[in-house]
Amino acid sequence: MSDALSQPMASNSFGTNPSSAEQHNAPLLQLVDITKRFGGLSAVKDLSFSLQQGEILGVIGPNGAGKSTMVNLIGGSLAPTSGTIFYQGHDINRLPPHRRARLGIARTFQLTQPFIGLDIRENVMVGAFFGQRGLNRTGASRVADEVLERVNLAHKATFKGSQLTIADRKRLEIARALATNPQLLLLDEVMAGLTSTEVAQAVELIQQINKMGVTVLIIEHIVHAIATVSNRILVLHHGQKIAEDEPSQVLSDPKVIGAYLGERYAKERRAE
Amino acid sequence: MILRTKTAPTAKAPSLKQREERGWLWSLLLGLGILGLIATIPWFGDSSALHTWTLILMFVILAQSWNFIGGFTGYSAFGNVAFFGIGAYTTGLMLLSHQPFWLGLIADALVAALFAFLLGLPVLRLRGHYFAIATLGIAEALREFVAVRDIGGGGGGLMSLPLPSLDAYVGFFYAFLGLSLLCLLITVFLTRSRFGYALIAIRENEQAAEALGVPTYWYKVGSFVLSAVPTALAGGLYAYWATGFDPDTVFNVGISAEMVLLTYLGGSGTILGPLLGAIAFEYASFQLQTSGFSLHNTLLGLSIAIVTIFLPQGCVRLIQEFVRKPAPQSTSAHRLIEGVRRVRRFIAANGI
Repeated sequence: MSDALSQPMASNSFGTNPSSAEQHNAPLLQLVDITKRFGGLSAVKDLSFSLQQGEILGVIGPNGAGKSTMVNLIGGSLAPTSGTIFYQGHDINRLPPHRRARLGIARTFQLTQPFIGLDIRENVMVGAFFGQRGLNRTGASRVADEVLERVNLAHKATFKGSQLTIADRKRLEIARALATNPQLLLLDEVMAGLTSTEVAQAVELIQQINKMGVTVLIIEHIVHAIATVSNRILVLHHGQKIAEDEPSQVLSDPKVIGAYLGERYAKERRAE
Repeated sequence: MILRTKTAPTAKAPSLKQREERGWLWSLLLGLGILGLIATIPWFGDSSALHTWTLILMFVILAQSWNFIGGFTGYSAFGNVAFFGIGAYTTGLMLLSHQPFWLGLIADALVAALFAFLLGLPVLRLRGHYFAIATLGIAEALREFVAVRDIGGGGGGLMSLPLPSLDAYVGFFYAFLGLSLLCLLITVFLTRSRFGYALIAIRENEQAAEALGVPTYWYKVGSFVLSAVPTALAGGLYAYWATGFDPDTVFNVGISAEMVLLTYLGGSGTILGPLLGAIAFEYASFQLQTSGFSLHNTLLGLSIAIVTIFLPQGCVRLIQEFVRKPAPQSTSAHRLIEGVRRVRRFIAANGI
């Protein structure tokens, strides 16, 4: 499957300027045979997949499966040992993270770390200032207020980062990323540690963001949430892709149940 | 922290847009007021007061400019005295070749900026202790180089300059004052601008800053250069003011340590911290020196220890914690208890 998908993109990698019609069909993001080794350990191994414009792709897998490494590879904080990452048809392997951010790739971090020396609005303004071009202070402040409104943090705009609850910190991560005006949003466990009400809010927020035209790649352990929100789910195990399909197909795949979901989950599903 | 939550508009008034804090404006006004007061010293004080306050202002500038790289960007540059020495020697060499003083200062700023840029390219790839040690090493190497090659020409690097005219000392004082005013304005600009936000973001979380599109490496180099130039200008002013100096004076590692201490004492990354820290510490230090008290260096060492243990965020942050608005409708007893709580929380949250 991965080979079939990688073929049309390969032609784009040689600097050809794809016409707008081609661009529409071409994937927004494509990973081709990506491998990342840390010493002897392959955190990600021969991973290939693509992401269409407007899609929400869920990524699940047990701890240590290479999910966060994958986000780091796409975001640019890690360089792949081999393989190529294409974004909008261009090879972005050599671009540093800040260049990728400007191209429209935004991400959140699993461990939320607000800039505690800045208040919440200023935190978001950093994203607006540097993800978008030519914004002055007023403009960046306006963008920040809009984004904070959208993620429901507007009433805490002058709070310090250290004053936020976990759910609000996660919202702030998303808000900062959104302020860069991304095409592609990489969400690394933004629902971890949230209550079920907050998870429902987060699902709704992600759907809203997606409706505005942002393509989303989301890593999550909360299976029902990711099944609700994703168009497709990709399952990683020991750094390799073991399944990639619609949520219902993936969640009943015996391989996925064996590696990640477990028999108990399968039974519960059958009971439903 | 609990208080903030209480004073913030609740769900009843969600449309109420939160106003930006105006703390920076108060800090700026206070800073201008303090510098304004110092500006009157030549009128009221004698020549010894003028001498003391000229040196205090020099340390104010050194602390303020260290704050750009150490306080805002969070990179502990332990060799910033190198720029001070480069400034002193560049200006000195220009004066010895009969160039006007102002031209010497311009050359001094350019040389320091170039040196900081070229030095920053490799060392700002390092982090934490490695960066601190690398910068310290460079400063020491420069001191050795200037001494061995006898750059000053007086043996061992010693440099003797022509004496400035007697009434020039008031001019030096105002030059230092003007430079520290400039540093104050730059500091305020940093707390309010795109450039400054980038530096703060780098300090708090470099990876996250990079992911938001901040070209962190170039911003670090930029802040290093920004920190070097006023330091070098202070060095240039010092050179002519002191007329004679050697490498051990202007490349003294102790000056680097003092920049760090003064900034942390007042509050690193704050607008007023370096200014207040430098004035308070240096004034006390000069008083002790002139009173014949021999434990000057002990005092220095002790205050480093006290600051790092009890107030790693500095005095200004402690004051900020105090002047934060209390909850509405609280009695004076409540406020007293809350005040004690805040100090305890501040100390507990910072180190011990």
